[in-house]
Amino acid sequence: MSEASTSYKKQDGKLLVSRDGRTVSWKPNAPSTSPLTIAVSEITNLQQTPEKSAKVSIKIVVQRPSASGAENHTFAFTSATAARAEQVAITSLLRKSIEAARAQNGSTPVPAADDGGGPSAAMAIAQAVSAGARAEDNMFDDGRLMSNTDLQKSLLNANPALRQRFDQALREKPDTITISQFSAQFWAARVHLLRAHAVEKSQSQGTYNVLSEVKPKNVDGTTRLNLSKEQIQLIFNQHPLVKKVYNENVPQLSEMEFWSRFFVSRLFKKLKGEKITETDSTDPKLDRYLNFEEEAERTRQLVMAHVPHFIDLEGNEQNHSQRQGNRPDWTMQPNTNERVPILRVLNSMSEKMLADVTPTDADPHAPSGIDEETYKELQLRDLQRGASDNRIMLKIKDQGQFFSGEQDARGSSSASLYAKRTPDQVLSTIQKDFKTISTNDKHAGGLNLESTIGVQEDSDSEEDERSKTKTRVGSKFTRTAATAQIMGAIRQRHLHTDDYLSSSSISSADQAAKLGLGPTVFESLVMTHNTTVEFLHYFWTVFLSGDPDRAGEAQKLVETLDKSLDRISAVAKTAENERMQKIEKSKKQVDDYMQRTGKRRKFDPNSIKGGARAVTDMMTPLVLAIKTATEKYRRAYELQMAQIAQLQNMV
Amino acid sequence: MNAIDATDRHIKSTDGPPPSLLAIILDTNPHAWAHLSSILPLSKAVASLLVFINAHLASGNANEVAVIASHSQRTHWLYPTPTLPTPHSTSTSNGHDANGTVPENANKYRPFAVIETAILSNLTTLLNSTTASSLSATSTTQISGALSTALSYISKSHIRHSPVDPTINDHSTITTPDTDGILGQQRVSLTSRILILSVSGDLANQYIPVMNAIFAAQRQRIPIDILKLAGDTVLLQQACDATGGIYMAPESPQGLLQYLMMGFLPDATARRALVLPSAGSVDFRAACFCHRKVVDIGYVCSVCLSIFCIPSLPDSKCLTCDSHLSLSTTLTVTPALIPRKKKKRKRGPGESATPAGSSTPAPGSGTPTHS
Repeated sequence: MSEASTSYKKQDGKLLVSRDGRTVSWKPNAPSTSPLTIAVSEITNLQQTPEKSAKVSIKIVVQRPSASGAENHTFAFTSATAARAEQVAITSLLRKSIEAARAQNGSTPVPAADDGGGPSAAMAIAQAVSAGARAEDNMFDDGRLMSNTDLQKSLLNANPALRQRFDQALREKPDTITISQFSAQFWAARVHLLRAHAVEKSQSQGTYNVLSEVKPKNVDGTTRLNLSKEQIQLIFNQHPLVKKVYNENVPQLSEMEFWSRFFVSRLFKKLKGEKITETDSTDPKLDRYLNFEEEAERTRQLVMAHVPHFIDLEGNEQNHSQRQGNRPDWTMQPNTNERVPILRVLNSMSEKMLADVTPTDADPHAPSGIDEETYKELQLRDLQRGASDNRIMLKIKDQGQFFSGEQDARGSSSASLYAKRTPDQVLSTIQKDFKTISTNDKHAGGLNLESTIGVQEDSDSEEDERSKTKTRVGSKFTRTAATAQIMGAIRQRHLHTDDYLSSSSISSADQAAKLGLGPTVFESLVMTHNTTVEFLHYFWTVFLSGDPDRAGEAQKLVETLDKSLDRISAVAKTAENERMQKIEKSKKQVDDYMQRTGKRRKFDPNSIKGGARAVTDMMTPLVLAIKTATEKYRRAYELQMAQIAQLQNMV
Repeated sequence: MNAIDATDRHIKSTDGPPPSLLAIILDTNPHAWAHLSSILPLSKAVASLLVFINAHLASGNANEVAVIASHSQRTHWLYPTPTLPTPHSTSTSNGHDANGTVPENANKYRPFAVIETAILSNLTTLLNSTTASSLSATSTTQISGALSTALSYISKSHIRHSPVDPTINDHSTITTPDTDGILGQQRVSLTSRILILSVSGDLANQYIPVMNAIFAAQRQRIPIDILKLAGDTVLLQQACDATGGIYMAPESPQGLLQYLMMGFLPDATARRALVLPSAGSVDFRAACFCHRKVVDIGYVCSVCLSIFCIPSLPDSKCLTCDSHLSLSTTLTVTPALIPRKKKKRKRGPGESATPAGSSTPAPGSGTPTHS
């Protein structure tokens, strides 16, 4: 219901909300007073009487772009029976329209409605019209993609991983965030996927060269031919000559006979571009058309294409000046060279196929004939003056000049370390140390590297133990430590290298096994990670939007992030339980072995990988990200609380 | 004669692995080495390095080495000695007085001794020429200069190793195609890499030249390996990551030789078959152009790609290229978290009852009543 009887300024009339939700108008019953029209986009506030009050009225506050102050319009609902119902209907309709208008104006509703001076209705309409004309261009516009739920659904169906992520995040989102808010957020980060999907969907396969596709098959000694209706249609389309032949012959021949004869005929070979040899069977009926083709094709081509002058060979005939004494030009001439028919056939086939495709790079409504591009092509550019240089000169200043002063003022971390020694001390230390290797070369025939590097192969751990107070350079202990570090790095790298080199081939189960986690635990870990990243993304968008209306959202998201931490630790717990079970099992095996053989086998619980540690190791960056987010939120929140408190104190 | 020699080498390289050139940049910042002297004295480090160099030379007949010292204020060639002709061409057995003469030792492979002598004598010269006043001026090292020197030496060696040596034939027509890197794969049969033995931090103020060197190395496919004994890591880690080199910060520097031998000996050809011991995470932060600070969030000029740490530039102009650069819009909006409280206050009465308040709520937030 978009109409209600109301009184405005003590005059009875009808309040109308237009169907497109752009305007609210009031028409008086008596023509004496002037009607009133309000654009929905200019409404800044809407108020109504309390539900229990006897009087039913609404107040619309309007801020016109031209006026400085706000106008109030109060409408009292006069219907004797259904005043309240009418009022509810009108208000809800209006509210919806206002929201829609705001949504169009962008995310900053109030200023846009206020000083943006919302474009006049006429302009809005003009924009809408021009937008319609350019609908093709805007198909991949962000906003359009975001609002296209069908497209989103189809993308989710096409991409199961994305669907899983979407569903999971949807399930765990805080309740205060509506589904539409959530999905808007979700897709905002994935517009590129939507666009790619839209492009993919809009692609369609073009026509193909039918004659080369149709191949008679040899089944049980007899040649068989499968020809679909579409293929026949396509043959007629691509080769009008065949259509002509078909029309003139089919009543006499049966359809079956026509096609079987056609596909072995010389005509078929000619159309395909193969050479006709003497041994090819002749067909009195079809061979009549062998010479027809050329002219028929020519005329069709001439009618079909508009050839720009500068590539028009026919035009050369007429315009070229060879009749005025120049030697005839033997290039660029159309000829009927039959020596390589396949080339000609392929060319003309491609031409025909391209002609069937609507060009995407040209405006279909542009005037035909010579276009700007072609015209420019015809101009003799060499004779024109060079265009003025519109490049912008890039002047690079010496970067040294704007920080040279800073260099020594900067207190560096190492400078304080080095400050313990004076430059003289530094020099003497270094020079004295270096003399130990540089002086002995005169007599000993060079430096004895073996003793200098300090590696003593026969040194045992005891010797190292003694010198543990000050670890000697090159001692076995340090060398072992070095080996351990390098091997550790290699192992870590190996773990990572594998999954990005063959991420597609390696299954998540393999990856999980490598880390010592069960596949289910690993799966849930991946899911938790995905959704948490999703929420983090959402959180930062809201947090950095600076929009007070979304403050509630931000708070809820922080709570959700806290919950994510719980979820991670829950996964870690399951992983740990899993590991404990494994350890128990191994222990049992060891015990069994001991009972059987009486020998004790060494068992190290640390050799069982996985468990909470594997989970925490993997999740450290994520946990860090969550902590940073919540920390930032809390700090900003407290700061603003303090500011508010200060303001209130001042008041 | 030399031309024939070069061709010969090329043919040899086709059946074995290509010769490999190792350019070592030894950071000789005296401050840092003095600081490290209790753990790993420079003499021991140099000795380890010499063993490593010998290992490198021994692993391939045609392998070569170049050693550059990156000192506190300049870079200095340690091997080959720049001004003199290279020792192995002049090493006739005359005289014991010259600085470059190689002591006779029957137990030492002569090429090793040649390099050892050159490095030690050059390093001695360098250290003796260092004055206390030059040390007090700076606490870091000229790593960017050393990198550029190494790169240009490598590029020269590449040309020398290409089957047709333009410097010998003097055909200007041949030099022109050599200058662009296209034939790097086809004709140059030398694989090179750079190893930086770094002890200094505070490299951020050489951010730009170092970055340029890194990109040059990346283009020439020269891996830069880093052995970081001390100092902060920001820039050099990026060098490794960008060029596919190995980064290693030893936990026990006393085992330096083990690190060198295990981590850095394989050349580019061998590395294709190996899992490299590189650290997992890389600090990708850049240093800003205005204060040389390492920044988490920076502002980039859209014209010349200069990085700034503050969005308020004088006159809204890029410091480097003077083009208009207004960064005010890039300022992150202050998060508005408090109005949530206001809203709550308003939502409160709306939920509990419907008093006829004539307050003006935030537009669109609801439809409160008016009397």
